Amino acid sequence: MKSWLRQHLFAISDAFTHLFKAPGGFALNVLVVAIALALPFGGLTLIENVRPVSEQLAVEPEISIFMALDAARDKTAALAKPIDAVLQQHHSSAKVVFIPREDALISLKNKTGMDDALTTLGQNPLPDAYVLKLAGFHDAPDAARIDTIAADLKALPGVDTVQVDSEWVKRLAALLGILRLVLMFLAATLAVVVVAVVFNTVRLQVLTQREEIAVAKLVGATDAFIHRPFYYTGALLGLCAGGLALGAVALGLQPLNQAIAEFARLYASEFRLLPLNWIASLALLAISAGLGLVGALLSVRRHLARLA
Amino acid sequence: MTGPSHSMIEFNQVSKKYTRDVVALRDITLTVNKGDLIFLAGPSGAGKTTLLNLIAAIERPSSGTLTVSGANVGKLKSSGLPYLRRNLGLILQQQKLLQDRSVLANVMLPLLVTGATRAEAEKRAQAALDKVGLLDKAATDPQALSGGEQQRVSIARAIVNRPQIILADEPTANLDRDNANKVLDALKSFHAAGVTCLISTHDEQFLNSANRVVFLDQGQIVDHWQNSAVGGAA
Repeated sequence: MKSWLRQHLFAISDAFTHLFKAPGGFALNVLVVAIALALPFGGLTLIENVRPVSEQLAVEPEISIFMALDAARDKTAALAKPIDAVLQQHHSSAKVVFIPREDALISLKNKTGMDDALTTLGQNPLPDAYVLKLAGFHDAPDAARIDTIAADLKALPGVDTVQVDSEWVKRLAALLGILRLVLMFLAATLAVVVVAVVFNTVRLQVLTQREEIAVAKLVGATDAFIHRPFYYTGALLGLCAGGLALGAVALGLQPLNQAIAEFARLYASEFRLLPLNWIASLALLAISAGLGLVGALLSVRRHLARLA
Repeated sequence: MTGPSHSMIEFNQVSKKYTRDVVALRDITLTVNKGDLIFLAGPSGAGKTTLLNLIAAIERPSSGTLTVSGANVGKLKSSGLPYLRRNLGLILQQQKLLQDRSVLANVMLPLLVTGATRAEAEKRAQAALDKVGLLDKAATDPQALSGGEQQRVSIARAIVNRPQIILADEPTANLDRDNANKVLDALKSFHAAGVTCLISTHDEQFLNSANRVVFLDQGQIVDHWQNSAVGGAA
């Protein structure tokens, strides 16, 4: 076996030996760090779940044109050509679907289960409608073009309301952007907390092992030999805390998903929050271990330099 | 001890000052040859411990030149210290044994820091404990041993790496005559095997065993004699 590998294995075993001497203290530190990590991990899980929804909808913006309730069917049907003209005027193309008010009513009844409520109304409350699925709209300038097209469509005869369905998606995207910034700030702050906790844990270990370090130095131990077990302790603390935080977030999703399922059912959706995939989870574990390592590095450099 | 002598340690006008008024060693000039058994004698505060600490680079000279195994201790970088100390066997007045580890684990430590395998370290540590007559105590915790036994464990730890030089600071202090003799016998056996030994002591009874005795007082060498009856490259 290579000497360096043997030295690292010795350092890992030494780190474990010292951890097992005070497992309670280590477990408490893991818990503190895990609590600090669980918050950004949870936020990231939320964003990762919502992001695909917002992105998927944003690339296919829809414009719904609702006719006036008293608009005649033949006039409504004749509107197809002016709609096409407006789109051409704006160098746009769209898949245009006409939805008669009768079909809309059937669809509403099927999707929402509000059959009884709609029957009591006596007459169909829904207007005829056109749904335009616009192609080639991806970014902010495109969004501005959609607003112009919507304004022109609103001016067509018999049109009561024009609704740009991507509006709420834009708001959601903006909200996610803010949330992402908040999360980054939170993550940075809590990373400092994690580093500080590991720093203090390693400081206490250095003080506890002061005698051992002095003896090791006297018998010819290099700085690397003395430092390594502390590095592994820090990384191990971060890793265990990261694993615990990921587990806690995954467990926390269960009750949350029950509430979300109730809500999503109202919109005929099966949306539910999923834990992070294994690549993201591994990345977070690596970051957690890295933060632990940074805390240990800073602590060892500061406190062992004082002992030297 | 036979063979051509050459210096292992050279003090050249070495002084150690802690403050302007506190001077531990003044202008020490001394050459220690390979295979010497040197006793450092003198009253408390004479500078014996400081002299040994300088050789082990636990402290650095304030002035002068100190060379140990060819390395200039005053100019040695901290990264070079471990490699210097691996050639030294240190036996301190306070044994500095790790109380939470077994006797065997204590003796294995100097080997493990050099990257030896556990199996190899264990084998050599057992051999070292055997040499000081404590192999049967290998699994024992140090606090279960008497003062003399603990001192012999620290001797085993000092010689396990097969050092070229052994530095012993008052190794028989606080020991009864019987244990002190055992410790001294162990040290003399390593000297007989060719190891250079520097031993500081208050105990004048041991000075007859030395091939050289250096008397220190107030940080200066006040006397220095050689005993041709004892082997060594004086």
